[in-house]
Formats: sequence, C-alpha cells, structure tokens
Amino acid sequence: MATYAEMKEMFDEIRADFRYDHELNGCLNCGICTATCPSAQFYDYSPREIVQLLWTENVEQIYDAMQEKIWACAQCMTCAARCPFKNSPGGLVMIMREVSIRHGMQSAKDVLRPFGRVMLKLITTGNQLSPDMIQPDHFPDWGPNIQKVEGDLRVLRKAIPVRTLQTVETAWEVSLKTSVEMYTIWEMTGVLKSLETMDENLFDVIEDFIDEKREDYEDWLESHGDE
Amino acid sequence: MSENTTQQGVAGHGAFFQDTNLNANEAEAATAWVRNHVDRRSVDLGERMDDIREHMWELEKEGEIIVHRIADEHKPVEVETLFGWKKRVPTNQLWHHKSCGQCGNIPGYPTSLMWFMNKFGIDYLDETDQTSCTAWNYHGSGIGNVESLAAVFLRNFHQAYVSGKQHGFENGHFYPLVHCGTSFGNYKEIRKYLIESAELREKVKKILGKLGRLVDGKIVIPEEVVHYSEWLHVMRNRIASELQTIDMSNIRVTVHAACHYYKMVAEDAVYDNTVLGGNRTAVGTSVAQALGAQVIDYSTWYDCCGFGFRHIISEREFTRSFTMNRKIKVAREEAKADVMIGIDTGCITTMDKNQWIGKAHDMNYSVPIIADVQLAALACGADPFKIVQLQWHASPCEDLVEKMGISWDKAKADFQEYLKQVEQGNVEYLYNPELATNQQINMKTGA
Repeated sequence: MATYAEMKEMFDEIRADFRYDHELNGCLNCGICTATCPSAQFYDYSPREIVQLLWTENVEQIYDAMQEKIWACAQCMTCAARCPFKNSPGGLVMIMREVSIRHGMQSAKDVLRPFGRVMLKLITTGNQLSPDMIQPDHFPDWGPNIQKVEGDLRVLRKAIPVRTLQTVETAWEVSLKTSVEMYTIWEMTGVLKSLETMDENLFDVIEDFIDEKREDYEDWLESHGDE
Repeated sequence: MSENTTQQGVAGHGAFFQDTNLNANEAEAATAWVRNHVDRRSVDLGERMDDIREHMWELEKEGEIIVHRIADEHKPVEVETLFGWKKRVPTNQLWHHKSCGQCGNIPGYPTSLMWFMNKFGIDYLDETDQTSCTAWNYHGSGIGNVESLAAVFLRNFHQAYVSGKQHGFENGHFYPLVHCGTSFGNYKEIRKYLIESAELREKVKKILGKLGRLVDGKIVIPEEVVHYSEWLHVMRNRIASELQTIDMSNIRVTVHAACHYYKMVAEDAVYDNTVLGGNRTAVGTSVAQALGAQVIDYSTWYDCCGFGFRHIISEREFTRSFTMNRKIKVAREEAKADVMIGIDTGCITTMDKNQWIGKAHDMNYSVPIIADVQLAALACGADPFKIVQLQWHASPCEDLVEKMGISWDKAKADFQEYLKQVEQGNVEYLYNPELATNQQINMKTGA
C-alpha cells in the first residue's frame, strides 16, 4: 500500500500531463458517459466515477481506481464523443495507465502479463500481430472454422497478390532500416525503460533481439558502403 | 429502495450511488432525452471547437513546419465533416499506410482496395518502409506515450512525403492513405497535439533529426489525415456506375462504423445529408447505398464492437460477450442482416471471430462480417478468394456470396487449383512486386 505522499505524487504526475486540461473540463454528474460505456456493462467501472475522482482530487480513491478499474476501459472513446463538457474519460484513463506503469504498480504488471507475446512482436517488428499468431491453437474460442481454406500457412500467404503481405511472422514485410529507426524511437522516448519496469525478462529478450538487428544493419551498411 | 442496493450501491458508481428502482415506463421517460440526443448527429458543440488546421497553416507560415499538401495531381474531392467543415480527400498518387491487423488477419481488405485502384488506373505505392502506428499497443497496454506515438507518426508520414524520390518524383508526390481506423484516430489526435504543443514538437524534432527524417530541419505534417473509407466514399458513385456487375437490391446490409474513425477527433469524420439523414457518419453506409443494397439502421449502431485493444487479446470474455449481445444478435434478430460491414481492422476481427463461441450460451447467431471495400469488390465481380480473400474469415461469408449469385464452391475449387500454381512459384500480383522493396534490405525473421 502506498503512502499518502506517494499517492499524491502520482496524482500530481497525472495532472501535470499536458493532455490533462484537454481531457477534463468540468462535470455535472449527468452520467451520459457511463450510460454509453461498454465496459460499464461488464465491469465495476464507470467513466463518470473516474472523472469525478479526478475533478474532486480524491487522491486516495484515484490510487484505488488505478489498481484495477482503469484497465477495464475498452478505449472506444464513446464517452469522449458524448460528454457535453468535452471531457475524455478514456483519455484520462490513458494518462493514469501511463503513470501506473512508470511507477511499476503491481496491478499493471499483473494485467499486462498475458500481453507479453504481443508486446514482444510489436516492439521488435513494429507489427501488433502476425499471421502465425492467429492460429487455432492460440484462439480455440474462435472455433474450428478460423479460416475457410486449409493448407500450409506459407502457401496461403503467398497467394495474397501483394508482395509486402506474403509474410508469416510479421503482418507485412518491414525493411530492416525501418525497424532500426523504430528501435531508436522506443529508446529515445523511454518506451524500453517502461518495458523494463514492467517485465525485466521480456525486456532482456527484446534487448538482445534489437542488438542483433542493429548489428545486421551495420553489416549491411558496411557491405553496401560504396553503392 | 431495496436493502441490497442500500448496502452496496451500484457497481462502478461508488457506494454513495443508489439504484433508482424506476419501473420500465419511468426509466424510459427519464432517459428519452438522452436517446434523442445520441441518436442524431450532434453539432451543438461546433461553435466552441477550434479548427486545428488553421493553426497548422500559421505554423507553416512561421517556418515552423512543412505541410504535406494535397495538390491538384492528387485529384481531391471535397466532402463535409461533422460541423459542416470542408475536408479534401485525395484520390490519386496514394501511399498505402497499411494496418497490422488487416495485413495479418484480414488481407482481403488491402487487396480489394488496390484492386479498385488498378481498375481506375490510379497510381499508388505500397512499400516495406513503414511501421504500424503502434496505437493498438498503446491503447491496450499503456506502454508508449505521446512522444513515441508522435515520433512514429512523423516518421511514417515523412517516408510517405519523400517516397516518390526513389521513383523519380518530387517530394510530396504520394499522399498517405491510412487503412486502419485506430491509426486514423491516433494520427489525428497526435497531429492536434503536435500543432498545439511547441514543447512536443521540440522533443520529437530531436528524434526525427537523429533518424534523418526532417526536411530542411522541419517536421512534415499532412494537410489532412485521410482514411481509406473516405477514399471509397468519394469513389462510390464511380464504383457503382462503372464497375458494378451484381445486383445488390436483395442484400440487407448493416454497418458498424469504427469508434476511432468518428469518436476520436470527432470533428474530422465525414457526414453527408444524403446518407441516413446525415445522422451517422457517411463512410461505409454510403458505399452500400450506392451499390443499391438495402441499408438497415439498428438500435445499437452507436455501440463499440467490444474490441478493447487489450481485451481482444487477454480478456476475451468481455469482447465476445459484448460483440454477441450488442452487435451480432442485434444484426441478426432485429435487422435480419445478410451482412454487417465494417471500416476498421479491430471491429471486423472482433465481430468475425467471436460468433462460434456464442454456442456455449445457446446464442446461435451468426452474420457474415466483411469490410465495405470487400463488399464493393464482390459486387464488382472480384474473385472471392484471390482478391477478396474471404478464406481468412470465420463468419459465414459463403451465405452472403451465394445470395449475391456467386458460386462459393466453384470459386473455392478454382482457388484450390490456384494454390497448386502458387506452390510452383506462379504467383499473380496486383502490382510489380519489385516496387515494394527498392533498395531496402528486408527483415527476414520476426520475433
């Protein structure tokens, strides 16, 4: 359990985000946001409550909401489109999620653990998912007819009449130069640091992968230096 | 007031909040004004809204940024957005900003789009020098931040700006066309932040400089962020009059517009008074209407699909429950739809893949789920497998195809024959595959 000072520090970080004043303008408790929220139908979550807690600067309950509630939001932004005050509860939730990650909250680690495989794919290839991930053994609840023509995945992908899409391990073919540029962005914007805070093992795997790709790129530059 | 609610309050509203215990009529009366408000196009906030593009032009004048302009050679068509503001949609010389979910999971999306562009003789470029927008991950996990999203946005759009050079054209030749709804929403939001915040511009300039992605020391911002469904919207009448071969008048179509298309930076979504009275975003619906299909409005049109970014991957019980209850069941029982069309990656994945599991709760509802561009391609005679790539869909697309008068079995048998050719290395392409890679080296292994 965090001390009040720690909770206050997190709240101060939330409201110091330059988006905060865009996303929070006032609240009359009308509840349109919650009435239209998909997550409110299934979880102990209400966008109205999030807005109210922030608006009233209820530091302890803000911290409490950051344990689980903020992870229920589906990020559809229906709340934001409907709010008469032009608040964005979904946008506020994103600021709160970022802060909870920066502070290494255990609840964030727990929530994101099953997301690791996707994170690995995204950080290393720039694609959120790939054809080899969308297979029946990964998604048994999608049913036996996950696709309508059976066959070798490589051949089926080769039958897509677009050169960049004939891939299995990435959604499309990404040039090595592009990937290396993306790694620089991750590094310079603190994304890799966040990842290290959340999951050190995953970070180690990703760091090794990135080092290897950078070496490949250096080798390529060296061998094509005169071109 | 029941004892139960006195003690516990209402879930998600805090302990002080109590159930009103209204009967059905009272509840209807109490909420009718909300329903009236949300069921129609809402423009009452327009006067309080700033048009960010005006500030963008000022920044360009001050020498702060370069705006990637939509020129005459892009053959733009003017449309209206939420508040009646004008937006120009380029129709030619387009740079395909692909979607990771579409390319990985619904490849008939980009192939149908390129197929149409070929039919109209439209120039485009699809290349390997592009990352995803990374916003799916951001909205799902919170790992990432405005700076990383902005750097990715500016990197990809810089590449679009300079991509013509290697083919002998000037900067700005190809204009980016964004395939994904979330990329579209995210890029619009980030563009707004970049225009509003000098501090953010300074931070990302350092990154873009290191990547060699500045032009004359400046960042490049697009005049408009354009979604592929907007291209389809402005091309719909040409598609119907010049290419359509199949009568669609017996097909009942429902539309699910992507939240991140019209709820994020809502002022930029396209509306047209000839499409459902201008009360719904026009994209998607306008195409079905132009093709002569029966467009069926339905009570839960405003609901999201249940994708949830993180939920579709690691909390799927929410995703499938929401999509079955609020979308598939309604499309089937209330609208009696032959097909639900979408305009985005996540929605189509969610609604297409989460029908079979409904059987676990005796919810035996199923509806074919495809993109607007796939439906249009089918109506124009595109091959259901080679071009529309319906083999990757889990929902009963065969029912729709048969109702349109196309033999599913024959098309499937032809495709299986074609697969033998593919195994021999005889692959058909929509464009010269060498154009995709150019001088880049390509990543051979994924993670």
